[in-house]
Amino acid sequence: MMISVRDLRKQFGATAAVDGLSFEVQRGEVVGFLGPNGAGKTTTIRALTCFHPASSGEVRVNGFDVRTQGVDVRRSIGYLPENVPLYPDLRVEEYLRYRAALKGVPRKQRRANVERAMERSGVLEVRNKLVGHVSRGYRQRTGLADALVANPPILILDEPTSGLDPNQRRRIKALVKELAQEHTILFSSHILAEVQDVSSRILVIHRGRLRADGAPSELVAAGSERVLRVEAAATAQQLLAAVSGLPSLRCKEAEDLGDGYARLRARAEPMGDPREAVALALAARSAAVRELRLDLPTLEEFFYQVTEGSDRDEESVA
Amino acid sequence: MNGTLVTLKKELMSYFYSPVSYLIAVLFYLWRGFEVSALAQTFSTYQLDQDLFPSACYGLTSTFFMVLLVPGVLTMRCFAEERRSGSIEMLMTAPLRDFEVVLGKWLAAVAFYSLLWLPSVVLLWALTMPQFLGADLAFGPVFSAYIGMFLLSAMLLAFGCFASSLTDNLLLAAIVAILFNLGLLKLPDMLRNELGELATGYYADQWITKLDVMGNFAQWWARGLVDTSQVWFYAGGTMFVLFLTALSFSARRVA
Repeated sequence: MMISVRDLRKQFGATAAVDGLSFEVQRGEVVGFLGPNGAGKTTTIRALTCFHPASSGEVRVNGFDVRTQGVDVRRSIGYLPENVPLYPDLRVEEYLRYRAALKGVPRKQRRANVERAMERSGVLEVRNKLVGHVSRGYRQRTGLADALVANPPILILDEPTSGLDPNQRRRIKALVKELAQEHTILFSSHILAEVQDVSSRILVIHRGRLRADGAPSELVAAGSERVLRVEAAATAQQLLAAVSGLPSLRCKEAEDLGDGYARLRARAEPMGDPREAVALALAARSAAVRELRLDLPTLEEFFYQVTEGSDRDEESVA
Repeated sequence: MNGTLVTLKKELMSYFYSPVSYLIAVLFYLWRGFEVSALAQTFSTYQLDQDLFPSACYGLTSTFFMVLLVPGVLTMRCFAEERRSGSIEMLMTAPLRDFEVVLGKWLAAVAFYSLLWLPSVVLLWALTMPQFLGADLAFGPVFSAYIGMFLLSAMLLAFGCFASSLTDNLLLAAIVAILFNLGLLKLPDMLRNELGELATGYYADQWITKLDVMGNFAQWWARGLVDTSQVWFYAGGTMFVLFLTALSFSARRVA
């Protein structure tokens, strides 16, 4: 077990930024930490990195307790904060040497470690530039090199791609994939496509609580409804009548298309596939089918459902 | 202790990178040069006792500049800048203990401040040359005066670090430290004025005299006398303020 969070709470005055969060991360996992802005991602990450302590709850990183073994916890992680605050008056290589020394990398290995970290994160070409003078993308990568320089078992990256252009984002994504072979990675983001590509598991938090936990494809498949679309040679009424015997379809709507065909849209249950049943029902009425499609939901839709959508449910209940 | 050494090296480097350091150095050397040569002229014109020269040096305005203003200005960046820029997050999530950071930053300030004083030795040495004052300066008092200055500044710099750890505003940090220094220099006079009769008692007088930092320079350090009670006063004060600084730095970690 690399990271274990149990009933984490963090109060800022009267508001709870994190409200009873529990999760675990196993060795070798790449976990995407998802949530809208203000969901409590950064607060949770800061509790893991000993920057802000939790108000209550137990947090263990690499087996060490954040409260009592802070130095050991920090030695186990490489951390890239959201805004990458670096010293602008040092040169990139100088900065990384300083950080390697600070993190206790033995003198003999320091040069090799810095060289390797610079190479992996792609900052070799700016090694002699002042940190304050390099572009946002290079700064981000310098921060990543910093996280890598002591070769820690766990990497915690807080929005590693925020503020980057699409090309830079691709590079960081590829790097995270590569790093996944050697490190356990927890990274936060609100860009869904990124998380889906890179991570083996995602955690969705909203309002400081865990809303979903699982592999991206599983979550999407299990959590959201699918949309069925049918176009057949019939009137709208006939189409509705044909599928009326199928209880798995909900919210059925049909319209005449004017060319002798009609279109039906309906919602199917999360794991179900009603296509065969619909095809048979239409064949029984000898209606020619020119389209029969089941749209699988996207992670984006799922994300909307567990965050915004759940807010609306809560509001309507209230 | 690795963390302290690494922090010390990095902070010392950033003093050398900072234009403020050079501004202070240039101001101090020019000012000190003029004042010391003027003082030397006075000594030779009026045939004054040359043994009093080092202690007279400690009454110069440039000394007050170095004691009153420079510690606060030098240390204002220590923690305030880290907080302002957010780099404190990188520092606090690195695997080192909080007191190692505080100690490293303070040692760097002490080292740089001592370097600022060093060239003033050259001035005194120049005075021993026959072309100038041709003074026969005793080495002892000069040496003890520098020890005293070192101990006092160690405490003032520790307070500067503390002031810097309280805020993310550099100017505020400097002002708080300067006000503290001013308070320390003015305290004996203030106490004597405010307490009136009470201050004339033996013990009260002893206590106030101990607190009179600049008076002690003229009375003790610059005459080659080392008073261990003063050594303990500065050393204890420094340790206490560094402890407060470490507490203030760690406060972020406390829920």
